[in-house]
Amino acid sequence: MVRVFALSFLWLFLLSLNYSANAEPISCLICHGAIKGKIQKDKDVVIDLHVDGEKYLASVHGMLNCTVCHKSFSVNPHQPARPGDVPGNIAALAEKLSHRAKIDPVAHAACIQCHEDIYKGWQHSIHGSNIIDKKKLDGPLCTDCHGSPHYITPKNTINSPVNRKNVVNTCAKCHDQKDIAEKYNYHTYIVERYYKSFHGKKYLLGHQNAPTCVNCHGYHDVRKWDDPLSPVAWENRMVTCGKCHEGATQKFVSSITHKPIDKDNPIPYYVRTGLIILLLSVFAFIVGHVFLEAYAEIRDRVLRKKKGGSS
Amino acid sequence: MNNKEIPTVIPPPAVIPPPKEYQRFNVIERIQHVILFTTFLLLAFTGWPLKYPGVEYSKWWIEIWGGPETAGLIHRIAGIIMLLNFAWHVMYLAYRMLTGRMKFRMNTTIIPLPKDVMDLVKNIMYFVGIGKEKPKFGRFSYIHKFDYWAVFWGMGIIGLSGLFLTFPVQASYIFPAWSLNWIWDVVRIMHSDEALLAIVFILFWHFYNEHLKWDKFPMSMTWITGKISIDQMKHEHPLEYEVEFDEKKEDEK
Repeated sequence: MVRVFALSFLWLFLLSLNYSANAEPISCLICHGAIKGKIQKDKDVVIDLHVDGEKYLASVHGMLNCTVCHKSFSVNPHQPARPGDVPGNIAALAEKLSHRAKIDPVAHAACIQCHEDIYKGWQHSIHGSNIIDKKKLDGPLCTDCHGSPHYITPKNTINSPVNRKNVVNTCAKCHDQKDIAEKYNYHTYIVERYYKSFHGKKYLLGHQNAPTCVNCHGYHDVRKWDDPLSPVAWENRMVTCGKCHEGATQKFVSSITHKPIDKDNPIPYYVRTGLIILLLSVFAFIVGHVFLEAYAEIRDRVLRKKKGGSS
Repeated sequence: MNNKEIPTVIPPPAVIPPPKEYQRFNVIERIQHVILFTTFLLLAFTGWPLKYPGVEYSKWWIEIWGGPETAGLIHRIAGIIMLLNFAWHVMYLAYRMLTGRMKFRMNTTIIPLPKDVMDLVKNIMYFVGIGKEKPKFGRFSYIHKFDYWAVFWGMGIIGLSGLFLTFPVQASYIFPAWSLNWIWDVVRIMHSDEALLAIVFILFWHFYNEHLKWDKFPMSMTWITGKISIDQMKHEHPLEYEVEFDEKKEDEK
C-alpha cells in the first residue's frame, strides 16, 4: 500500500510539471497507467495501451525512460517521428522486423542499443533468420520469449518466462503447436517426448541439474540440428552432452532423440506392448489367485468350519 | 581283559523327542532377505515419483526423500546394494551346492518342476470347489517358487537396465551401433514397467501369502527366527517333513 500511495503522490507531483519532450516514464504512465483500453489498428493488430506502472518500475527496465525504446514517440502528445529521432541502425532493423513486429517495430529494434551481442546471435539463428532473411511471420522476437519488455524480470525470478521453471513451457508455446510443426517439418511430440524422457521427468520433479531445452539446443542463437554451429549438431554433441555426461562418445551421443515410441520405432513399441501384456497377465493371475484363495479360506473356516487353512 | 569282565551295557537307543520347531532358514538367508526387502522398499519409494513426475503428489513425495537429487542418490546406492546382495545369494547357493551342503531333492528344491503346475491346477480346483483336496507341498510350494523366481526375473531385467541407466556413457560402449536408435527406449521401458510389475507383485502376491493370510496375519515370524513349528511344517510342507523326519527314521531301521 505504501508503494501505491507513494506512486500516486509522485504522479500528482509530476502532473504539476509540464510534459517535456524527453518524457519521464512517470509522465507517460499518467495516461498509460490509467488507460485500460486497446486499439484495433489493423485486422489482426491490437495495441494494448495499458502499462502497469508499478510492475514496470519493478522490472529490469524500470529505470529507463519510455522514449529510450519508443523512439518514434519522442514528442508528446504523439506525433510522427521527426527525422533523426530514430538512429539509423535501429531504423534499419525496424524496417526488417516491420512485417513481424506490427506494433512499434522501432521499439522492438531498440533492444539492440543495449543487447547488441544477443541480437547478433539471434539474427543468424533459426528464429531470427526466418524473420529477417526469409521474411516469414513465424519465429520469436525478443518479447515472445521474454514477455513484455515493460515487465521483464531477471531470469532467476519465478515470473520470468525464461526462468528454468518456465522455459520449457515458453518453448512449447510454438513447438507444441501442430500447424507450426507441420509447416516447418518437425513434430509436435517433441515437448511431450521430452517430458517422458529421463531428462524431462527429472525436470518435472524439480531436479536442479536436469537439462531443459536451452541447455542442449542453445537459446538466442539456436540453430537447426543439421547446422554445424548448432550445439546438437553431430560434430558438437560430444561437447554438449559431455557437459553433464563426462566422457561422452560418438556412440553415446547418437542415441538421444525425441523420437516417439510408436510403430515408426518398432522395437521399443513391441517391447513395451509385450511387457504390458506380461504385466497384465501377471496381474490377472496373481489377483485372481489371491481372491480365489481368500474366498476358499473364508468358505472353509466360516461355512465348513474346518480347522487349519490352506498352505 | 578287563573289558570282558565289565558287562557291556548297551545304552537304550536315545529317545530323541520330536523337535517342536524346524530351522527353515539359516541366519545368512535371513540376512539376505532383510537386505533384499530394505533395498526393495527404498528403491520403490524413491523410484515411484519418477514414473509419474507430472502428478503433484510426486513432487511432495520426492521432497520427503530429500528432493530429486538425494532421492536419486538413495535409489542408486540401494540398487547397487541390492545387486551385490543378489550376487552374494547366488554365490552362496553355488557354494552350498558344490560342497554338498545342499542337495537337489524333488521335494525340497526351489527349481520349478512339472508337479508345480499340477499343484496349481489342483489348488485352483480346490478354491472353486471342484477339487476335494488341496495339493501337498514340499519345502517350496509353487506360490513360493513364483515369489522367488519373480525376484530373479526382476534382478535381471530391472537390475541390468538400472545399471545401464546409472552408467549411460559406459553402457553405450557395449551397445552395438545398430541398436542405438532404440536401445535406450527399451532400457527405460524395461526398468519402468518391470518395476511397476515388481511392486504390484510384492503388494499382492507376497503380502497376501506371507502377511494377510488367515494363519499368517500380521506376519509369519519365520523371517526373524528362521524357524517354523513342526505342526505348521506338517501342515504346509508335508512332503518336506517326510524327507526330513520320516525318511531318517526309515534309514535307522
